[in-house]
Amino acid sequence: MKRTADVLLGVVLLAAAAAGLLAPGPGAAPGEALDVLLGSGTEGATVAVLGVRLPRLALALAVGAALALAGASLQALLATPLADPFLLGISGGGAAAATAAVALLPVAAFGAVPAAGMAGAALATLAVWWMARGPLGPSTTRLLLAGIAVNAAASVAILAVLALADAPRLASALAITMGSFSAATPAAVLWLLPYLLLPAALLLHDGRDLGLLALGEESAAALGVDVTAVRRRVFLASAALCGGAVAFAGVIGFVGLVTPHLCRLIWGMAPRRLFWRAALAGAALTAFGDVLARQLVAPAELPVGVVTAALGVPFFVALLRRAP
Amino acid sequence: MLLLWAAVAFSGHLVDQVGHPVQAGPVTRLVALAPDVVELAFALGAGERLVGVAGTADFPVAARLLPRVTVGDVESIMARRPDLVLATTAGNDPRVIERLRASGVRTFTADVTSCERLAEVLRLLGEVLGARRRGDELADDVLGRCAAAARRAADLPGQGALWVVWWEPPIVAAPNTFHHDLLHRAALTNLAPEGAGRYPRVNPEVFLDPGLRFVVSPDEPDVRAGWERFATSAAGTRLAAGDVQVLWLPADPASRPGPRMPEALEALVAAREARR
Repeated sequence: MKRTADVLLGVVLLAAAAAGLLAPGPGAAPGEALDVLLGSGTEGATVAVLGVRLPRLALALAVGAALALAGASLQALLATPLADPFLLGISGGGAAAATAAVALLPVAAFGAVPAAGMAGAALATLAVWWMARGPLGPSTTRLLLAGIAVNAAASVAILAVLALADAPRLASALAITMGSFSAATPAAVLWLLPYLLLPAALLLHDGRDLGLLALGEESAAALGVDVTAVRRRVFLASAALCGGAVAFAGVIGFVGLVTPHLCRLIWGMAPRRLFWRAALAGAALTAFGDVLARQLVAPAELPVGVVTAALGVPFFVALLRRAP
Repeated sequence: MLLLWAAVAFSGHLVDQVGHPVQAGPVTRLVALAPDVVELAFALGAGERLVGVAGTADFPVAARLLPRVTVGDVESIMARRPDLVLATTAGNDPRVIERLRASGVRTFTADVTSCERLAEVLRLLGEVLGARRRGDELADDVLGRCAAAARRAADLPGQGALWVVWWEPPIVAAPNTFHHDLLHRAALTNLAPEGAGRYPRVNPEVFLDPGLRFVVSPDEPDVRAGWERFATSAAGTRLAAGDVQVLWLPADPASRPGPRMPEALEALVAAREARR
Protein backbone atom coordinates (compact mmCIF):
# COMPACT_ATOMS: atom_id res chain seq x y z
CA MET A 1 0.00 0.00 0.00
CA LYS A 2 2.71 2.48 1.07
CA ARG A 3 4.91 1.46 -1.86
CA THR A 4 2.01 2.03 -4.26
CA ALA A 5 1.40 5.39 -2.64
CA ASP A 6 5.08 6.29 -3.10
CA VAL A 7 4.87 5.45 -6.78
CA LEU A 8 1.62 7.40 -7.08
CA LEU A 9 3.22 10.42 -5.39
CA GLY A 10 6.07 10.30 -7.90
CA VAL A 11 3.62 10.08 -10.80
CA VAL A 12 1.53 12.99 -9.48
CA LEU A 13 4.65 15.11 -9.03
CA LEU A 14 5.84 14.36 -12.56
CA ALA A 15 2.36 15.09 -13.93
CA ALA A 16 2.30 18.42 -12.09
CA ALA A 17 5.71 19.33 -13.48
CA ALA A 18 4.68 18.31 -17.00
CA ALA A 19 1.45 20.31 -16.75
CA GLY A 20 3.40 23.32 -15.51
CA LEU A 21 5.56 23.26 -18.64
CA LEU A 22 3.16 21.92 -21.27
CA ALA A 23 -0.27 23.38 -20.42
CA PRO A 24 -1.47 25.80 -23.10
CA GLY A 25 -0.46 29.42 -22.71
CA PRO A 26 -0.23 32.56 -24.84
CA GLY A 27 3.48 31.98 -25.48
CA ALA A 28 3.38 28.32 -26.51
CA ALA A 29 0.73 25.69 -27.30
CA PRO A 30 1.28 22.21 -25.77
CA GLY A 31 2.81 20.86 -29.00
CA GLU A 32 5.19 23.81 -29.27
CA ALA A 33 6.16 23.42 -25.61
CA LEU A 34 6.87 19.73 -26.16
CA ASP A 35 9.08 20.64 -29.14
CA VAL A 36 11.04 22.95 -26.84
CA LEU A 37 11.61 20.14 -24.35
CA LEU A 38 12.71 17.89 -27.21
CA GLY A 39 15.17 20.55 -28.35
CA SER A 40 13.45 21.71 -31.53
CA GLY A 41 11.23 24.58 -30.37
CA THR A 42 10.87 28.00 -31.91
CA GLU A 43 12.62 30.95 -30.28
CA GLY A 44 9.37 32.41 -28.91
CA ALA A 45 8.19 29.10 -27.47
CA THR A 46 11.63 28.48 -25.96
CA VAL A 47 11.49 31.78 -24.09
CA ALA A 48 7.95 30.98 -22.89
CA VAL A 49 8.76 27.45 -21.69
CA LEU A 50 12.32 27.79 -20.41
CA GLY A 51 12.35 31.49 -19.54
CA VAL A 52 8.89 31.95 -18.03
CA ARG A 53 7.33 28.58 -17.15
CA LEU A 54 10.39 26.72 -15.87
CA PRO A 55 11.35 29.28 -13.16
CA ARG A 56 7.67 29.54 -12.29
CA LEU A 57 7.38 25.77 -11.92
CA ALA A 58 10.60 25.59 -9.91
CA LEU A 59 9.39 28.32 -7.54
CA ALA A 60 5.98 26.62 -7.16
CA LEU A 61 7.63 23.29 -6.35
CA ALA A 62 10.06 24.86 -3.87
CA VAL A 63 7.40 26.93 -2.11
CA GLY A 64 4.95 24.02 -1.92
CA ALA A 65 7.63 21.77 -0.48
CA ALA A 66 8.64 24.44 2.04
CA LEU A 67 5.09 25.08 3.24
CA ALA A 68 4.17 21.41 3.54
CA LEU A 69 7.40 20.58 5.35
CA ALA A 70 6.89 23.51 7.72
CA GLY A 71 3.30 22.41 8.37
CA ALA A 72 4.31 18.80 9.03
CA SER A 73 7.10 19.78 11.41
CA LEU A 74 4.99 22.30 13.31
CA GLN A 75 2.15 19.81 13.69
CA ALA A 76 4.64 17.29 15.09
CA LEU A 77 6.34 19.86 17.33
CA LEU A 78 3.18 21.37 18.76
CA ALA A 79 1.30 18.06 18.81
CA THR A 80 -1.74 19.64 17.24
CA PRO A 81 -3.22 18.94 13.82
CA LEU A 82 -4.25 22.61 13.62
CA ALA A 83 -0.71 23.92 13.37
CA ASP A 84 0.36 25.34 10.05
CA PRO A 85 2.82 27.99 8.89
CA PHE A 86 0.19 30.70 9.33
CA LEU A 87 -0.76 29.85 12.89
CA LEU A 88 2.57 31.00 14.31
CA GLY A 89 2.41 34.39 12.65
CA ILE A 90 5.57 33.85 10.62
CA SER A 91 3.86 34.05 7.23
CA GLY A 92 1.82 37.00 8.49
CA GLY A 93 4.97 38.84 9.57
CA GLY A 94 6.60 38.24 6.19
CA ALA A 95 3.47 39.31 4.29
CA ALA A 96 3.06 42.46 6.41
CA ALA A 97 6.63 43.57 5.75
CA ALA A 98 6.41 42.73 2.03
CA THR A 99 3.11 44.63 1.56
CA ALA A 100 4.54 47.60 3.48
CA ALA A 101 7.57 47.56 1.16
CA VAL A 102 5.26 47.55 -1.88
CA ALA A 103 3.36 50.54 -0.50
CA LEU A 104 6.41 52.57 0.50
CA LEU A 105 9.29 51.71 -1.84
CA PRO A 106 9.73 53.29 -5.27
CA VAL A 107 8.65 50.80 -7.93
CA ALA A 108 12.23 50.69 -9.22
CA ALA A 109 13.22 49.19 -5.86
CA PHE A 110 10.58 46.42 -5.87
CA GLY A 111 13.45 43.94 -6.16
CA ALA A 112 13.93 44.48 -2.43
CA VAL A 113 10.41 43.25 -1.58
CA PRO A 114 11.48 39.61 -0.97
CA ALA A 115 14.22 40.85 1.37
CA ALA A 116 11.61 42.85 3.27
CA GLY A 117 9.40 39.75 3.45
CA MET A 118 12.28 37.72 4.79
CA ALA A 119 13.08 40.37 7.40
CA GLY A 120 9.42 40.52 8.46
CA ALA A 121 9.28 36.75 8.86
CA ALA A 122 12.49 36.81 10.91
CA LEU A 123 11.14 39.58 13.15
CA ALA A 124 7.86 37.70 13.64
CA THR A 125 9.85 34.56 14.53
CA LEU A 126 11.85 36.44 17.16
CA ALA A 127 8.70 38.07 18.53
CA VAL A 128 6.90 34.72 18.89
CA TRP A 129 9.91 33.09 20.50
CA TRP A 130 10.40 36.02 22.88
CA MET A 131 6.74 36.05 23.92
CA ALA A 132 6.62 32.28 24.32
CA ARG A 133 9.60 32.09 26.66
CA GLY A 134 8.68 31.09 30.19
CA PRO A 135 10.62 29.93 33.23
CA LEU A 136 10.63 26.38 31.82
CA GLY A 137 11.28 27.40 28.22
CA PRO A 138 8.69 27.92 25.51
CA SER A 139 5.76 25.57 26.00
CA THR A 140 3.44 24.46 23.21
CA THR A 141 0.57 26.52 24.57
CA ARG A 142 2.68 29.66 24.90
CA LEU A 143 4.05 29.24 21.37
CA LEU A 144 0.53 28.92 19.96
CA LEU A 145 -0.77 31.92 21.89
CA ALA A 146 2.22 34.05 20.90
CA GLY A 147 1.72 32.98 17.28
CA ILE A 148 -1.93 33.99 17.40
CA ALA A 149 -0.95 37.39 18.83
CA VAL A 150 1.72 38.02 16.18
CA ASN A 151 -0.65 36.84 13.46
CA ALA A 152 -3.28 39.30 14.64
CA ALA A 153 -0.75 42.13 14.67
CA ALA A 154 0.42 41.20 11.17
CA SER A 155 -3.18 41.11 9.88
CA VAL A 156 -3.79 44.57 11.28
CA ALA A 157 -0.60 45.86 9.66
CA ILE A 158 -1.56 44.34 6.27
CA LEU A 159 -5.06 45.83 6.43
CA ALA A 160 -3.63 49.24 7.33
CA VAL A 161 -1.24 49.08 4.38
CA LEU A 162 -4.05 48.04 2.02
CA ALA A 163 -6.26 50.86 3.30
CA LEU A 164 -3.58 53.52 2.88
CA ALA A 165 -1.69 52.37 -0.22
CA ASP A 166 -2.03 54.25 -3.51
CA ALA A 167 -4.67 52.57 -5.66
CA PRO A 168 -2.32 51.29 -8.41
CA ARG A 169 -0.02 49.66 -5.85
CA LEU A 170 -2.92 47.68 -4.39
CA ALA A 171 -2.47 45.16 -7.22
CA SER A 172 1.09 44.47 -6.09
CA ALA A 173 0.06 44.31 -2.43
CA LEU A 174 -2.84 41.95 -3.15
CA ALA A 175 -0.51 39.68 -5.13
CA ILE A 176 1.44 39.22 -1.89
CA THR A 177 -1.59 38.61 0.32
CA MET A 178 -3.10 36.04 -2.07
CA GLY A 179 0.06 34.43 -3.44
CA SER A 180 1.52 34.38 -6.92
CA PHE A 181 4.32 32.75 -8.87
CA SER A 182 4.01 35.09 -11.83
CA ALA A 183 7.12 37.09 -10.94
CA ALA A 184 9.30 33.97 -10.66
CA THR A 185 12.84 34.28 -11.96
CA PRO A 186 15.80 31.87 -11.84
CA ALA A 187 17.42 34.24 -9.32
CA ALA A 188 14.38 34.01 -7.01
CA VAL A 189 14.56 30.21 -7.10
CA LEU A 190 18.29 30.26 -6.32
CA TRP A 191 17.73 32.66 -3.42
CA LEU A 192 14.98 30.44 -2.03
CA LEU A 193 16.90 27.16 -2.22
CA PRO A 194 19.04 27.68 0.93
CA TYR A 195 15.87 28.50 2.87
CA LEU A 196 14.45 25.17 1.73
CA LEU A 197 17.41 22.82 1.76
CA LEU A 198 19.11 23.76 5.05
CA PRO A 199 15.93 23.67 7.18
CA ALA A 200 14.85 20.47 5.43
CA ALA A 201 18.15 18.81 6.33
CA LEU A 202 17.78 20.01 9.92
CA LEU A 203 14.22 18.72 10.20
CA LEU A 204 15.11 15.33 8.78
CA HIS A 205 18.00 15.19 11.27
CA ASP A 206 15.64 15.97 14.15
CA GLY A 207 12.93 13.65 12.88
CA ARG A 208 13.66 10.90 15.39
CA ASP A 209 13.57 13.30 18.34
CA LEU A 210 10.35 14.83 17.06
CA GLY A 211 8.85 11.35 16.92
CA LEU A 212 9.80 10.83 20.55
CA LEU A 213 8.34 14.22 21.47
CA ALA A 214 4.98 12.91 20.24
CA LEU A 215 5.06 10.56 23.26
CA GLY A 216 5.08 13.58 25.56
CA GLU A 217 7.76 15.96 26.77
CA GLU A 218 8.58 14.02 29.94
CA SER A 219 8.85 10.73 28.11
CA ALA A 220 11.01 12.28 25.39
CA ALA A 221 13.28 13.87 27.98
CA ALA A 222 13.56 10.56 29.80
CA LEU A 223 14.67 8.97 26.53
CA GLY A 224 17.48 11.52 26.18
CA VAL A 225 15.88 14.20 24.01
CA ASP A 226 16.94 17.77 24.75
CA VAL A 227 13.38 19.04 24.44
CA THR A 228 14.17 22.77 24.53
CA ALA A 229 16.96 22.50 21.95
CA VAL A 230 14.88 20.37 19.59
CA ARG A 231 11.92 22.71 19.94
CA ARG A 232 14.12 25.73 19.18
CA ARG A 233 15.72 24.09 16.13
CA VAL A 234 12.45 22.84 14.67
CA PHE A 235 10.75 26.18 15.27
CA LEU A 236 13.57 28.12 13.60
CA ALA A 237 13.75 25.68 10.68
CA SER A 238 9.99 25.97 10.13
CA ALA A 239 10.24 29.75 10.36
CA ALA A 240 12.96 29.81 7.70
CA LEU A 241 10.81 27.64 5.42
CA CYS A 242 7.75 29.89 5.87
CA GLY A 243 9.75 33.09 5.58
CA GLY A 244 11.39 31.99 2.34
CA ALA A 245 8.08 30.91 0.85
CA VAL A 246 6.16 34.06 1.73
CA ALA A 247 9.02 36.34 0.70
CA PHE A 248 9.11 35.02 -2.87
CA ALA A 249 5.52 33.93 -3.48
CA GLY A 250 3.31 35.70 -0.94
CA VAL A 251 0.73 34.00 1.26
CA ILE A 252 -0.44 30.64 -0.08
CA GLY A 253 -2.96 29.03 2.21
CA PHE A 254 -3.87 25.47 3.14
CA VAL A 255 -0.82 23.74 1.62
CA GLY A 256 0.91 23.60 5.00
CA LEU A 257 -2.25 22.46 6.77
CA VAL A 258 -3.81 19.94 4.41
CA THR A 259 -0.80 18.22 2.87
CA PRO A 260 0.63 16.81 6.13
CA HIS A 261 -2.84 15.50 7.08
CA LEU A 262 -3.18 13.66 3.80
CA CYS A 263 0.32 12.24 4.04
CA ARG A 264 -0.19 11.16 7.64
CA LEU A 265 -3.24 9.17 6.59
CA ILE A 266 -1.15 7.25 4.07
CA TRP A 267 2.35 7.05 5.56
CA GLY A 268 1.71 7.33 9.29
CA MET A 269 2.99 9.66 12.00
CA ALA A 270 6.77 8.99 12.03
CA PRO A 271 8.35 12.33 11.10
CA ARG A 272 11.31 10.97 9.17
CA ARG A 273 9.00 8.91 6.97
CA LEU A 274 6.43 11.68 6.71
CA PHE A 275 8.50 14.81 6.14
CA TRP A 276 10.03 14.24 2.72
CA ARG A 277 6.78 12.78 1.37
CA ALA A 278 4.84 15.79 2.67
CA ALA A 279 7.36 18.06 0.97
CA LEU A 280 6.90 16.28 -2.37
CA ALA A 281 3.10 16.27 -2.02
CA GLY A 282 3.11 19.99 -1.16
CA ALA A 283 5.28 20.66 -4.20
CA ALA A 284 2.82 18.79 -6.42
CA LEU A 285 -0.18 20.63 -4.91
CA THR A 286 1.23 24.12 -5.49
CA ALA A 287 2.45 23.21 -8.99
CA PHE A 288 -1.04 21.96 -9.92
CA GLY A 289 -2.56 24.98 -8.17
CA ASP A 290 -0.46 27.28 -10.31
CA VAL A 291 -1.49 25.48 -13.49
CA LEU A 292 -5.15 25.90 -12.53
CA ALA A 293 -4.55 29.56 -11.58
CA ARG A 294 -3.24 30.14 -15.12
CA GLN A 295 -5.87 28.06 -16.92
CA LEU A 296 -9.23 28.70 -15.24
CA VAL A 297 -9.69 32.25 -16.59
CA ALA A 298 -6.85 32.26 -19.16
CA PRO A 299 -5.12 34.41 -20.17
CA ALA A 300 -6.20 36.22 -17.01
CA GLU A 301 -4.75 34.74 -13.86
CA LEU A 302 -6.18 33.86 -10.46
CA PRO A 303 -4.09 34.27 -7.31
CA VAL A 304 -2.65 30.84 -6.58
CA GLY A 305 -3.65 31.16 -2.92
CA VAL A 306 -7.28 31.25 -4.02
CA VAL A 307 -6.85 28.00 -5.94
CA THR A 308 -5.02 26.14 -3.17
CA ALA A 309 -7.66 27.27 -0.67
CA ALA A 310 -10.45 26.19 -3.02
CA LEU A 311 -8.80 22.77 -3.32
CA GLY A 312 -7.89 22.54 0.34
CA VAL A 313 -11.09 23.59 2.10
CA PRO A 314 -13.41 20.83 0.78
CA PHE A 315 -10.70 18.28 1.34
CA PHE A 316 -10.15 19.48 4.89
CA VAL A 317 -13.89 19.44 5.63
CA ALA A 318 -14.11 15.87 4.32
CA LEU A 319 -11.20 14.84 6.54
CA LEU A 320 -12.82 16.51 9.52
CA ARG A 321 -16.16 14.78 8.93
CA ARG A 322 -14.51 11.36 8.60
CA ALA A 323 -12.38 11.72 11.74
CA PRO A 324 -13.64 9.70 14.74
CA MET B 1 -30.16 57.72 -24.59
CA LEU B 2 -33.80 57.54 -25.62
CA LEU B 3 -34.63 55.72 -22.43
CA LEU B 4 -32.84 58.36 -20.37
CA TRP B 5 -34.68 61.19 -22.11
CA ALA B 6 -37.95 59.32 -21.57
CA ALA B 7 -37.08 59.02 -17.91
CA VAL B 8 -36.54 62.77 -17.71
CA ALA B 9 -39.74 63.59 -19.57
CA PHE B 10 -42.06 61.35 -17.61
CA SER B 11 -40.69 61.32 -14.10
CA GLY B 12 -39.30 64.80 -13.71
CA HIS B 13 -35.84 63.55 -12.77
CA LEU B 14 -32.76 62.22 -14.51
CA VAL B 15 -31.14 58.84 -14.18
CA ASP B 16 -27.35 58.67 -13.77
CA GLN B 17 -25.13 56.17 -15.57
CA VAL B 18 -25.60 53.43 -12.99
CA GLY B 19 -29.40 53.74 -12.97
CA HIS B 20 -29.91 55.91 -9.89
CA PRO B 21 -32.54 58.63 -10.22
CA VAL B 22 -31.19 62.14 -9.64
CA GLN B 23 -33.74 64.55 -8.17
CA ALA B 24 -34.13 67.83 -10.00
CA GLY B 25 -33.16 70.99 -8.13
CA PRO B 26 -30.54 73.70 -7.93
CA VAL B 27 -26.94 72.72 -7.29
CA THR B 28 -24.89 75.22 -5.34
CA ARG B 29 -22.60 73.00 -3.29
CA LEU B 30 -20.92 70.28 -5.29
CA VAL B 31 -18.54 67.56 -4.05
CA ALA B 32 -16.61 65.44 -6.58
CA LEU B 33 -15.10 62.15 -5.40
CA ALA B 34 -12.64 61.44 -8.23
CA PRO B 35 -10.35 63.44 -10.53
CA ASP B 36 -12.37 62.55 -13.66
CA VAL B 37 -15.64 63.91 -12.26
CA VAL B 38 -13.81 67.00 -10.96
CA GLU B 39 -12.67 67.59 -14.54
CA LEU B 40 -16.24 67.06 -15.78
CA ALA B 41 -17.54 69.67 -13.34
CA PHE B 42 -14.93 72.21 -14.43
CA ALA B 43 -15.54 71.48 -18.11
CA LEU B 44 -19.25 72.21 -17.57
CA GLY B 45 -18.44 75.52 -15.90
CA ALA B 46 -19.38 74.34 -12.40
CA GLY B 47 -15.88 74.55 -10.90
CA GLU B 48 -16.86 77.48 -8.70
CA ARG B 49 -19.62 75.42 -7.13
CA LEU B 50 -17.19 72.71 -6.00
CA VAL B 51 -16.86 72.77 -2.21
CA GLY B 52 -14.93 69.52 -1.85
CA VAL B 53 -12.88 67.26 -4.11
CA ALA B 54 -10.91 64.00 -3.94
CA GLY B 55 -7.36 64.33 -2.67
CA THR B 56 -5.98 63.25 -6.04
CA ALA B 57 -7.81 65.99 -8.00
CA ASP B 58 -5.13 68.10 -9.69
CA PHE B 59 -6.66 69.33 -12.95
CA PRO B 60 -7.36 72.06 -13.82
CA VAL B 61 -4.93 73.95 -11.58
CA ALA B 62 -7.85 75.58 -9.73
CA ALA B 63 -8.85 72.11 -8.46
CA ARG B 64 -5.65 71.92 -6.40
CA LEU B 65 -6.82 74.83 -4.26
CA LEU B 66 -10.18 73.30 -3.33
CA PRO B 67 -10.96 71.70 0.05
CA ARG B 68 -10.23 67.97 0.13
CA VAL B 69 -12.57 65.21 1.26
CA THR B 70 -11.77 61.61 2.18
CA VAL B 71 -13.58 59.73 -0.54
CA GLY B 72 -14.26 56.63 1.55
CA ASP B 73 -15.54 58.57 4.56
CA VAL B 74 -19.21 59.58 4.44
CA GLU B 75 -18.76 61.94 7.39
CA SER B 76 -15.97 63.84 5.63
CA ILE B 77 -18.17 64.22 2.55
CA MET B 78 -21.29 65.23 4.51
CA ALA B 79 -19.25 67.82 6.41
CA ARG B 80 -19.04 69.83 3.18
CA ARG B 81 -22.89 70.03 3.16
CA PRO B 82 -23.18 69.11 -0.53
CA ASP B 83 -26.43 69.26 -2.44
CA LEU B 84 -24.93 66.99 -5.10
CA VAL B 85 -22.07 64.47 -4.91
CA LEU B 86 -20.38 63.40 -8.13
CA ALA B 87 -18.86 59.90 -8.18
CA THR B 88 -17.45 57.47 -10.71
CA THR B 89 -17.42 53.71 -11.15
CA ALA B 90 -13.70 54.11 -11.88
CA GLY B 91 -12.54 54.11 -8.29
CA ASN B 92 -15.35 55.08 -5.90
CA ASP B 93 -16.83 52.61 -3.43
CA PRO B 94 -20.52 52.08 -4.32
CA ARG B 95 -21.29 51.45 -0.63
CA VAL B 96 -20.27 55.03 0.15
CA ILE B 97 -22.65 56.27 -2.55
CA GLU B 98 -25.46 54.12 -1.14
CA ARG B 99 -24.89 55.52 2.36
CA LEU B 100 -24.94 59.06 1.01
CA ARG B 101 -28.18 58.36 -0.84
CA ALA B 102 -29.66 56.75 2.26
CA SER B 103 -28.78 59.96 4.13
CA GLY B 104 -30.76 61.99 1.63
CA VAL B 105 -27.77 63.37 -0.32
CA ARG B 106 -28.26 63.61 -4.09
CA THR B 107 -25.61 61.69 -5.99
CA PHE B 108 -24.66 61.32 -9.63
CA THR B 109 -22.39 58.42 -10.65
CA ALA B 110 -20.59 58.44 -13.99
CA ASP B 111 -19.72 55.18 -15.72
CA VAL B 112 -17.74 56.20 -18.79
CA THR B 113 -16.72 53.21 -20.89
CA SER B 114 -16.63 54.80 -24.37
CA CYS B 115 -16.72 58.09 -26.24
CA GLU B 116 -20.50 57.74 -26.48
CA ARG B 117 -20.80 57.24 -22.74
CA LEU B 118 -18.60 60.29 -22.17
CA ALA B 119 -20.85 62.34 -24.43
CA GLU B 120 -23.88 60.98 -22.59
CA VAL B 121 -22.52 61.91 -19.15
CA LEU B 122 -21.69 65.41 -20.39
CA ARG B 123 -25.30 65.89 -21.56
CA LEU B 124 -26.81 64.39 -18.39
CA LEU B 125 -24.56 66.29 -16.02
CA GLY B 126 -25.04 69.47 -18.03
CA GLU B 127 -28.78 69.03 -17.45
CA VAL B 128 -28.32 68.39 -13.71
CA LEU B 129 -25.97 71.36 -13.27
CA GLY B 130 -28.16 73.72 -15.30
CA ALA B 131 -25.57 73.88 -18.10
CA ARG B 132 -27.48 72.02 -20.76
CA ARG B 133 -26.13 73.96 -23.74
CA ARG B 134 -22.52 73.63 -22.53
CA GLY B 135 -23.05 69.91 -21.98
CA ASP B 136 -24.44 69.46 -25.48
CA GLU B 137 -21.55 71.42 -27.00
CA LEU B 138 -18.96 69.37 -25.14
CA ALA B 139 -20.72 66.12 -26.02
CA ASP B 140 -20.77 67.02 -29.72
CA ASP B 141 -17.10 67.99 -29.52
CA VAL B 142 -16.17 64.66 -27.89
CA LEU B 143 -18.07 62.66 -30.49
CA GLY B 144 -16.57 64.70 -33.31
CA ARG B 145 -12.99 64.31 -32.07
CA CYS B 146 -13.40 60.59 -31.43
CA ALA B 147 -14.88 60.08 -34.89
CA ALA B 148 -12.10 62.11 -36.52
CA ALA B 149 -9.40 60.15 -34.73
CA ALA B 150 -11.06 56.87 -35.71
CA ARG B 151 -11.15 58.00 -39.37
CA ARG B 152 -7.41 58.69 -39.23
CA ALA B 153 -6.80 55.29 -37.67
CA ALA B 154 -8.87 53.54 -40.35
CA ASP B 155 -5.83 53.74 -42.66
CA LEU B 156 -3.64 51.93 -40.13
CA PRO B 157 -3.31 48.13 -40.11
CA GLY B 158 -5.40 46.35 -37.48
CA GLN B 159 -3.02 44.83 -34.92
CA GLY B 160 -3.12 43.18 -31.51
CA ALA B 161 -2.60 45.32 -28.41
CA LEU B 162 -2.88 45.38 -24.65
CA TRP B 163 -3.53 48.42 -22.46
CA VAL B 164 -1.37 47.87 -19.37
CA VAL B 165 -2.36 49.89 -16.31
CA TRP B 166 0.18 48.24 -13.95
CA TRP B 167 3.17 45.98 -14.55
CA GLU B 168 3.91 44.14 -11.31
CA PRO B 169 1.84 42.01 -11.60
CA PRO B 170 0.61 42.87 -15.10
CA ILE B 171 -2.92 44.31 -15.00
CA VAL B 172 -4.64 45.10 -18.30
CA ALA B 173 -7.82 46.84 -19.41
CA ALA B 174 -10.46 44.38 -20.64
CA PRO B 175 -13.63 44.98 -22.70
CA ASN B 176 -16.20 47.33 -21.15
CA THR B 177 -13.56 49.90 -20.22
CA PHE B 178 -12.87 53.22 -21.91
CA HIS B 179 -9.36 51.95 -22.64
CA HIS B 180 -10.84 49.14 -24.72
CA ASP B 181 -12.95 51.66 -26.64
CA LEU B 182 -9.91 53.80 -27.38
CA LEU B 183 -7.92 50.78 -28.59
CA HIS B 184 -10.79 49.80 -30.87
CA ARG B 185 -11.05 53.32 -32.33
CA ALA B 186 -7.29 53.32 -32.94
CA ALA B 187 -7.70 50.15 -35.07
CA LEU B 188 -6.14 47.94 -32.41
CA THR B 189 -7.56 44.61 -31.28
CA ASN B 190 -7.58 44.31 -27.52
CA LEU B 191 -6.07 40.91 -26.62
CA ALA B 192 -7.18 41.20 -22.97
CA PRO B 193 -9.47 38.42 -21.76
CA GLU B 194 -13.22 38.85 -21.40
CA GLY B 195 -15.13 37.63 -18.38
CA ALA B 196 -12.44 38.20 -15.77
CA GLY B 197 -13.44 41.69 -14.70
CA ARG B 198 -12.66 45.10 -16.16
CA TYR B 199 -9.01 45.10 -15.11
CA PRO B 200 -7.79 41.49 -14.91
CA ARG B 201 -4.36 40.38 -13.85
CA VAL B 202 -2.87 38.39 -16.73
CA ASN B 203 -0.37 35.61 -17.16
CA PRO B 204 2.93 37.40 -18.01
CA GLU B 205 3.23 35.01 -20.95
CA VAL B 206 0.65 37.13 -22.86
CA PHE B 207 3.53 39.48 -23.69
CA LEU B 208 5.09 36.66 -25.71
CA ASP B 209 1.92 36.17 -27.80
CA PRO B 210 3.05 36.53 -31.45
CA GLY B 211 -0.19 38.42 -32.20
CA LEU B 212 0.73 41.21 -29.79
CA ARG B 213 2.28 44.21 -31.57
CA PHE B 214 1.57 47.16 -29.26
CA VAL B 215 1.33 47.81 -25.57
CA VAL B 216 -0.31 51.05 -24.49
CA SER B 217 0.48 52.45 -21.07
CA PRO B 218 0.06 55.75 -19.19
CA ASP B 219 3.31 57.67 -18.95
CA GLU B 220 3.64 57.80 -15.16
CA PRO B 221 6.92 57.33 -13.24
CA ASP B 222 5.69 54.27 -11.28
CA VAL B 223 4.30 52.61 -14.40
CA ARG B 224 7.49 53.29 -16.36
CA ALA B 225 9.61 51.90 -13.51
CA GLY B 226 7.46 48.77 -13.48
CA TRP B 227 7.85 48.40 -17.24
CA GLU B 228 11.62 48.76 -16.99
CA ARG B 229 11.75 45.95 -14.43
CA PHE B 230 9.33 43.79 -16.41
CA ALA B 231 11.32 44.26 -19.62
CA THR B 232 14.32 42.62 -17.95
CA SER B 233 12.34 39.42 -17.26
CA ALA B 234 11.94 36.53 -19.70
CA ALA B 235 8.29 37.48 -20.25
CA GLY B 236 9.48 40.95 -21.30
CA THR B 237 11.84 39.63 -23.99
CA ARG B 238 9.76 40.90 -26.94
CA LEU B 239 9.25 44.26 -25.23
CA ALA B 240 12.97 44.68 -24.64
CA ALA B 241 13.75 43.66 -28.22
CA GLY B 242 11.22 46.13 -29.65
CA ASP B 243 9.10 43.37 -31.28
CA VAL B 244 6.27 44.69 -29.14
CA GLN B 245 6.24 48.48 -29.14
CA VAL B 246 5.18 50.46 -26.10
CA LEU B 247 3.06 53.51 -26.79
CA TRP B 248 3.29 55.89 -23.83
CA LEU B 249 0.31 58.22 -23.55
CA PRO B 250 -0.12 61.38 -21.46
CA ALA B 251 -0.86 59.95 -18.03
CA ASP B 252 -3.99 61.74 -16.88
CA PRO B 253 -6.04 61.67 -20.11
CA ALA B 254 -5.05 58.01 -20.51
CA SER B 255 -6.04 57.11 -16.96
CA ARG B 256 -9.15 59.20 -16.31
CA PRO B 257 -12.46 58.63 -18.10
CA GLY B 258 -13.09 62.37 -18.16
CA PRO B 259 -13.40 65.18 -20.70
CA ARG B 260 -9.73 64.87 -21.77
CA MET B 261 -10.29 61.30 -22.99
CA PRO B 262 -10.25 62.38 -26.68
CA GLU B 263 -6.70 63.71 -26.07
CA ALA B 264 -5.64 60.18 -25.16
CA LEU B 265 -7.21 58.80 -28.32
CA GLU B 266 -5.60 61.46 -30.50
CA ALA B 267 -2.21 60.79 -28.86
CA LEU B 268 -2.68 57.05 -29.42
CA VAL B 269 -3.50 57.47 -33.10
CA ALA B 270 -0.60 59.91 -33.54
CA ALA B 271 1.77 57.42 -31.88
CA ARG B 272 0.58 54.69 -34.23
CA GLU B 273 0.97 56.95 -37.27
CA ALA B 274 4.51 57.82 -36.17
CA ARG B 275 5.39 54.11 -36.15
CA ARG B 276 3.77 53.25 -39.45
